[in-house]
Amino acid sequence: MVGIDPPIIEIRKLSLRFGGLQVLHEIGLDVRAREILAVIGPNGAGKTSLFNCINGFYHPYEGEILYKGKDITQLKPHRIAEMGIARTFQNIELFSGLTALENLMAARHILMRRGALMGSLFFGPARNEEISHREEVEEVIDLLEMESIRKKVVASLPYGQRKRVDLARALCMEPSALLLDEPMAGMNVEEKEDMARFILDIYELKKIPIVLVEHDMDVVMDICSRVAVLDFGRKIAEGRPSEIRSDKRVIRAYLGED
Amino acid sequence: MALETLPQALRENFHILGSKSIAMRVKDRGIWREYTWEDYFLKVKWLCLGLKSLGLEKGDKVSILGENKPEWFWAELAAQSAGGAAVGIFTDCLPSEVKYYVEHSDSTFVVAHDQEQVDKLLEIKGQLPRLKKVIYWDAKGLWSYNDPIMLQLDEVLEIGKAYEKANQGFFDKMIDSGKGHDVAVICYTSGTTGLPKGAMLTQNWLMLSVSEWARLDGWMGKDFEYLSFIPPAWITEQGIGIAGNIIAPMVVNFPEEPETVHENIREIGPAVLFFGARLWENLNRMVQAKMMDSTFLRRLFYNMALPVGLRYCDISGKRPGFLKTFLYLLAYYAVFRQLKDRLGLSNVKVVYSAGAAVSPDIIRYFKAMGIDIRLFYGSTEQGVMTMPRRGDMRPETSGPPVPWVEIKLSDEGEILVKSKYPYAGYYKNKEATEAKMVDGWYCTGDFGHKDEDGHLIVMDRMDDLKEIAGGKKFSPQYTEIRLRFSPYIKDALVVGGAQRGFVSALINIDLENVGRFAEARHIAYTTFTDLSQREEVIDLIREEIRKVNKILPDWTRIRRFVNLHKEFDADEDELTRTRKLRRTFVEDKYGGLIEALYGDGGAYRVEATVTYRDGRKGTMETAIAVNEI
Repeated sequence: MVGIDPPIIEIRKLSLRFGGLQVLHEIGLDVRAREILAVIGPNGAGKTSLFNCINGFYHPYEGEILYKGKDITQLKPHRIAEMGIARTFQNIELFSGLTALENLMAARHILMRRGALMGSLFFGPARNEEISHREEVEEVIDLLEMESIRKKVVASLPYGQRKRVDLARALCMEPSALLLDEPMAGMNVEEKEDMARFILDIYELKKIPIVLVEHDMDVVMDICSRVAVLDFGRKIAEGRPSEIRSDKRVIRAYLGED
Repeated sequence: MALETLPQALRENFHILGSKSIAMRVKDRGIWREYTWEDYFLKVKWLCLGLKSLGLEKGDKVSILGENKPEWFWAELAAQSAGGAAVGIFTDCLPSEVKYYVEHSDSTFVVAHDQEQVDKLLEIKGQLPRLKKVIYWDAKGLWSYNDPIMLQLDEVLEIGKAYEKANQGFFDKMIDSGKGHDVAVICYTSGTTGLPKGAMLTQNWLMLSVSEWARLDGWMGKDFEYLSFIPPAWITEQGIGIAGNIIAPMVVNFPEEPETVHENIREIGPAVLFFGARLWENLNRMVQAKMMDSTFLRRLFYNMALPVGLRYCDISGKRPGFLKTFLYLLAYYAVFRQLKDRLGLSNVKVVYSAGAAVSPDIIRYFKAMGIDIRLFYGSTEQGVMTMPRRGDMRPETSGPPVPWVEIKLSDEGEILVKSKYPYAGYYKNKEATEAKMVDGWYCTGDFGHKDEDGHLIVMDRMDDLKEIAGGKKFSPQYTEIRLRFSPYIKDALVVGGAQRGFVSALINIDLENVGRFAEARHIAYTTFTDLSQREEVIDLIREEIRKVNKILPDWTRIRRFVNLHKEFDADEDELTRTRKLRRTFVEDKYGGLIEALYGDGGAYRVEATVTYRDGRKGTMETAIAVNEI
């Protein structure tokens, strides 16, 4: 499969700087329509910054990002979200005072067409719209096995389950590409296994490309079709997991010079 | 024509109730979805015909492997409609266990729930030559599987529909040919020794014994709501859930997921309910924990109401006085009614528990709330054997025998049973079937006794019994479990022996609760050892033992006991890591002390070696009082 699929996100010579700090340096990377791509690298390599550029939190001073052939480099995050790139966050960004279900319904607001007035009257078309959105949300709840936490307030949930809500929130936007920032950080083995299964299920069912930043190499090697390695803002390697595992530059970046 | 089989009864319900009333309800995607009798019947019909055209023959077995869902029920009824039998398999079985059940029962089809279960079958299908198809109903995660042995349930329904068009009236003929003595279900017994045995249950068992059961406990013809939660591979769910659903009839409700039961039960408000012992304990603990986090005022009311409730339900036999009734009504309407509502137990009429012992305290707790838990005694082979009756429930017994069962005790104390509706023997195991029958009585292998009014008390497996002088048997485990129900006793070792004339106990006090007891009475103590030997504490434990003695047969009552100077400890090999007592080891270790229990009485000096966590050993010398009851 690798190499045949057209790219859906194209990153060209992307450079990002905070003051004097060069965070990303001429990154070039394609995300193909059918793949799970892992972005790995030591702490501070620029993985999350790369994500932040793709979804519009940061704007690079050089280079461009094309999404389905359109330049999205300077667009605002909400525009990019509407265009179909959804992401999860390393530090989980949810409305912690709302229930899991309310968070997921809120995620669908970009897909809602009725105005605030109709919505607050909860009448006719607005009601039907709400119901159809709830049906979609329930599909996601079923997919990620969240039935038992549906009505729990997010703040009361354990960390692993909050991560799951975060992923569900991204899915509820019906994305055509999914960025996952450390989906398994801080999880125990069982939670990791569940999460890996969910990622594969999403990939299979929704047929969308998934890009993930992850530190757990076993997970990366198991579920990803391709890996890109960053080190100090530069891409130092790219390829299949088996190639990356034996790549000298990658080993050096992780273990230091000898 | 009299209805002999469940499929015939289902068809009758379809004709009479049709699409007007609901047969089952399942929560899916957040909504309760309903199936009427018409839906239920048609699903069974198409599934049965689908299986038939895939090669199911009369007398074939269909294994079912899944959580409680309507599809489970359809599959069983479909198998029975074709003159076959259903074999329930527990969902947590390993692939090797699944293989044993499917292979031993000669199943030609397996109906499985989801990816998890299908994966098991794909792993073992090579070793199952008789297996024709694996039919699954939840396709999640199975999208990219393409093993030819797999087939989705919906596809089988379509095959069945097509088959029906070509063979009008065939299904009815098949149902008509069903007989009461047909084997309907094979339930495998967990088998503590050797391989599991498959107990064959006939249509007669499902139809007749369950009808009598439903009438006895008053859920016949009431259209009650029932929550299906215990595994259908277990005989109890076969009785209440699958047969009760059709015979009573009851509406069976399936929770969304096992984890959402507490939420779902409140939405349903079932009238009939079966929870295992563990679940009742969990409910009790949940309430206590929530009350602790509650507001001051709520806690105050709860703490005022609970003793009133407990005292009210403690007076058995006599009519409670005016004041007690008045206070109870006050407590009920102020607290218990709301509590019941919160737990989803507002509408309960009949609640069951069986299997493991439920602590009398838990039973009293729910009784105070107005919920009578019927802790009955049954087995896979004989079904329900004893059942507590309304108005005469005793927390420590399993009630008197049901009308269709006769019970007697052998000289050794084994429970022997003769039932009007017994099982049809073990599948492919005549030897084991015959070994269990003595002079027309079925030997349960359980040890028990009857109280003055004929209520049965089941104590232990015969194999686990110990002997005392004179050849009488007693069950140390039963007594130990009952002792541990006391909040002041953490662990206990009950000893006897062929040379000893009576039973004694080594008691581990519960430091936390006894400590609190001591504090409340201003009893000063320094260490665990010191506390355990205080006179007040010994009196306290003596009272607790007396309570337990009341329900024990005379010869198994505890006559002497000691409070141990230290707790049983897994670091010292006295307990396993799962906190089970290592009996032989402990009996050896405390050999001298046990001798003293049967000596002249008085105190015994122990010099115990203690192993610390870092591996060092130390010695301790203490005097332990030997106490008479």
